[in-house]
Amino acid sequence: MKTVGFRSIVLYILLAVFLGGVGLMVARQLLYGRQWAMQPYNMNLTGQMGDIKDRNGNILARSEDGERLYSDDGTVRLALLHTIGDTAGYIGTGVQSVMGDRLTGYNFVTGLNETILTGLTSGLDLTVDQYACTAAYSAMGGHDGAAILYNYETGDILCKVSAPTFDPAFVPEDIETNGAYKGAYLDNTLSGTFTPGSIFKVVTAAAAMEAWPDSWSTRTYDCWGSENIGGSDITCLNGEAHGTLDMYGAMGHSCNIYFAHLANDLGSEALQKKAEELGFNANLQFGDVTVAKSSIDLSGANANQLGWAAVGQYTVLANPYHMMALMGAVAQGGTCKEPPRLTAGGDALSKVIKPGRMMSPDTAANLKSLLRSDVENYYGDWLFPQGMNVCAKTGTGEVGEGIAPNCWMVGFCDSAQYPYAFAVVVEEGSGGIETAGVVVSAMLQALA
Amino acid sequence: MERLTDFMLPTLWLLLRALVPVLALYVVWRSYTSFKKGQRRRDPVIMLWEETSGARFPVLYWENSIGRSKSCDICLPDATVSRDHAVLMRREEGWVVCDTGSQSGTRVNGREIEGQKLLSIGDSITMGDVTLTMRNADSPLEKRRRVFKGFSAEAASPLKLMAAASLVHLLMALQACFADGAFVLIQAAPTLIAMVMGWGLYVYSIGIQHRVSFEIETTAYLLSGIGITLLAAFDIEGVRTQLVAMFIGILLFCFMIWFMNDLDRVSRFRIYIGAAAILLFALNLLIGQENHGAKNWIKLGPLSLQPSELIKIAFVFVGTSTLDRLQTKKNITEFLIFTGICVGFLVLMHDLGTAAIFFACFLIIAFMRSGSVRTIALILSGAAFGVFLVLQMLPYIADRFAGWGHVWEHINDNLGFQQTRVLTYMASGGLFGLGTGQGGLGASGVFAADSDLVFGMLCEEQGLLLGLIVLMAIALFIFYARSDVTRSRSTFFSIGACAVAGMLLFQTCLNVFGATDVLPLTGVTLPFISAGGSSMMSVWGLMAFLKASDERTYAARRAGRRQARGGRGPSDPPPRRPGPGHMRPPPPRRDDMEDISS
Repeated sequence: MKTVGFRSIVLYILLAVFLGGVGLMVARQLLYGRQWAMQPYNMNLTGQMGDIKDRNGNILARSEDGERLYSDDGTVRLALLHTIGDTAGYIGTGVQSVMGDRLTGYNFVTGLNETILTGLTSGLDLTVDQYACTAAYSAMGGHDGAAILYNYETGDILCKVSAPTFDPAFVPEDIETNGAYKGAYLDNTLSGTFTPGSIFKVVTAAAAMEAWPDSWSTRTYDCWGSENIGGSDITCLNGEAHGTLDMYGAMGHSCNIYFAHLANDLGSEALQKKAEELGFNANLQFGDVTVAKSSIDLSGANANQLGWAAVGQYTVLANPYHMMALMGAVAQGGTCKEPPRLTAGGDALSKVIKPGRMMSPDTAANLKSLLRSDVENYYGDWLFPQGMNVCAKTGTGEVGEGIAPNCWMVGFCDSAQYPYAFAVVVEEGSGGIETAGVVVSAMLQALA
Repeated sequence: MERLTDFMLPTLWLLLRALVPVLALYVVWRSYTSFKKGQRRRDPVIMLWEETSGARFPVLYWENSIGRSKSCDICLPDATVSRDHAVLMRREEGWVVCDTGSQSGTRVNGREIEGQKLLSIGDSITMGDVTLTMRNADSPLEKRRRVFKGFSAEAASPLKLMAAASLVHLLMALQACFADGAFVLIQAAPTLIAMVMGWGLYVYSIGIQHRVSFEIETTAYLLSGIGITLLAAFDIEGVRTQLVAMFIGILLFCFMIWFMNDLDRVSRFRIYIGAAAILLFALNLLIGQENHGAKNWIKLGPLSLQPSELIKIAFVFVGTSTLDRLQTKKNITEFLIFTGICVGFLVLMHDLGTAAIFFACFLIIAFMRSGSVRTIALILSGAAFGVFLVLQMLPYIADRFAGWGHVWEHINDNLGFQQTRVLTYMASGGLFGLGTGQGGLGASGVFAADSDLVFGMLCEEQGLLLGLIVLMAIALFIFYARSDVTRSRSTFFSIGACAVAGMLLFQTCLNVFGATDVLPLTGVTLPFISAGGSSMMSVWGLMAFLKASDERTYAARRAGRRQARGGRGPSDPPPRRPGPGHMRPPPPRRDDMEDISS
């Protein structure tokens, strides 16, 4: 019996495998339990989340009797859908998805149980202003696009709107089939990229300022509305001939030919390098959310393609959140000092976007004066509330035949009282000022 | 302040739920330590004296191999003695010796023996040139000191452990009653019925059979009750099957303990049990019903049965063996063929999880019988080849495992749907669970939530802690089996208990790790917990092997019978008493142990 008894230690092999498996299982739950529990299909999530409020204490979402309820105002629900997220959790970048653990009070020990502790801590105060959001949404006039604005002194995001959108309280039944809702789960401010058009001239200008710090402002090119560069034509909007222009004039008139020549004199490498310093091709993080990459690739581009790239066409793409942060950096002397955030504390949506300097203080100051000149001398200060001292650049990104362009406006207020930077893009619009400008104006009016 | 009161009630419920794992841990752990406490010390039961040299050999076990080989329990280093010469065994009628194919034969009191020969004190056994005389063991050896006493020096009373286990069930059932806010008494009915059965077994075992230990049954009752209460909250109608199966299972458990009392009877029936198993498999394949890809059901009117579950019991019967048979018939070919047939049938039925369980059980038995690493390696490589062949012939089986380790990439298709649900809901439960009947895994209608995925349901509703304690209870069966392995009445019981403990733990691994994506998902049940009548019956039946392996199970019976006859028989020598000042468990425990030395 001794021998048989001894051989029974074979069971310990099985026991070791068992213990290893249990250890792995528990360790995984400890590490990933949070993500596991936050799956949209989890039936324990709905109706367990705490209140979400805007910066003025307006309730944006709350739970009652196991149901998730949203603002009583339908426009607020539409405008803030992507910021808050939907009940089913399809909008993965919304607060309810990204910060679901915080909102439900999830932790490894008590799981999704409601306790005294979760009751006290599960609420969330956002930095957004619901009126600025509804104003922007309404001004977009039913077009798709994105509008985002933040306070570059504090980092608080005050307005964040994406369209197409839907009402989270009454999810349309045809959401999967109706073309109008195509892309409605996507937050265009964070996850969208668009052809930037003329707003990219800010980048080209910055490259020129750093290549020729002493002579950039005196450099001139002639414009006859259309010119063959590198084998095919580069044209200005509506074929308008701008004559001989310096940088200020070219920026004000948004002259494509000026910037096409400028880029060819700079060379593709210098433009590529400066664009990357300004955050193109970089993976920006907005808290736990990876922002869609603004992209540029000039390798192998010929003179014509480089010319078009210099004015934000060719294959260049820009993300609204990134553009806003870039404007914040220009406003603050070249560095994005306070990264944008949606919540006050050290939460998942308040982390650094990309540390470090984007441009020299001189370049920032020069860009600021260029953008200020645009509004002062070309767009008109009457567009915006008084005293905001807006610096901005418009753009119309051509997207293809038969489709109206992406209309952009990016910029900031050079004002201690209104330290706001913004980026607005509206798809299939009629023009930068006419389509995007009014959205910026509406946001600023709401915040004035 | 208003918010504070809002969350007061849920918090109180949470605290109540936190009590459940604490109590369950107490029952599981104290059952094991009490079991260990009540065991006989490893003192010699009789002595063998070699008169010429004066050497004395203590006889420590119920079955002892005698021979020249170092692996023998009584090693006689003499050239005239065969490696495995004879076996000395304690049987119902007394000590017997039998020759195990030695060169020179075995003589008792000078006479050559054939088959088993009954001995009494003073008889001499001659093997080759060595003659041993059987003597009583004189004095108990020095008491061995244990460093770790399992947190307590005394064994817990079985009554107290049963009461604690019942409290665990009541606390769980209370949550179920309040699951929808208002009190619904009917939710507690299945728990109460299970409780009646558990206590019925207690009364039968302690009160009528006068058994001194009830730890294995307590653990089994605890687990069954947890499973039934959990399933009752999920499907109060379906839990009836579970209750009936538990009842039949308990009857089977009692019957098997009676049946295994007589080892001759067991060896007479072994061939019939094996044949019946194969017949049942064949019948299953012929008239079986296909259910979700596996043809492992037989439907007889209102009854539906999974024969493979019951065949597990037969499989252990066929595989295990007494020491005399082990020593004479060393190869395992016969059992290998039987295993081949069983596993073959299961593969034909597409029940691969169960086939793996049979094979694992076979490996344990084969190793314990042969001790040959080479044989096991050979069998394993053969099996690997077999698996390769099966995968070649049935490629869709491999597809089923394609999601393994990548379940989060398959959240909404059938490669990862079930596993991701289990993980999500497990995490939702935290350490203490959301409460009986409050789970989302059951409510969301995920397929097999109450059987293959029941561990997820257990953890979500009762918390990860209770889930781990259930696993610990099943893992501890290995330690129960191991601590009985040289104390049991025969290697038949030792091997049987180890095979059962290993089989249950392996099955638990497949179930739990399959559901949580540690291993590929195979449809096997979690012992005691999963919905499935056949499984519940079979697991109680398998418990009989663990119980029979404990020598006290039968000792108490004889003690009880003897008391009824009015004291010990005249041929019995006076029992050895423990020395003065010796801490001993309450009577009749210790005295009962003495009858092995008579």
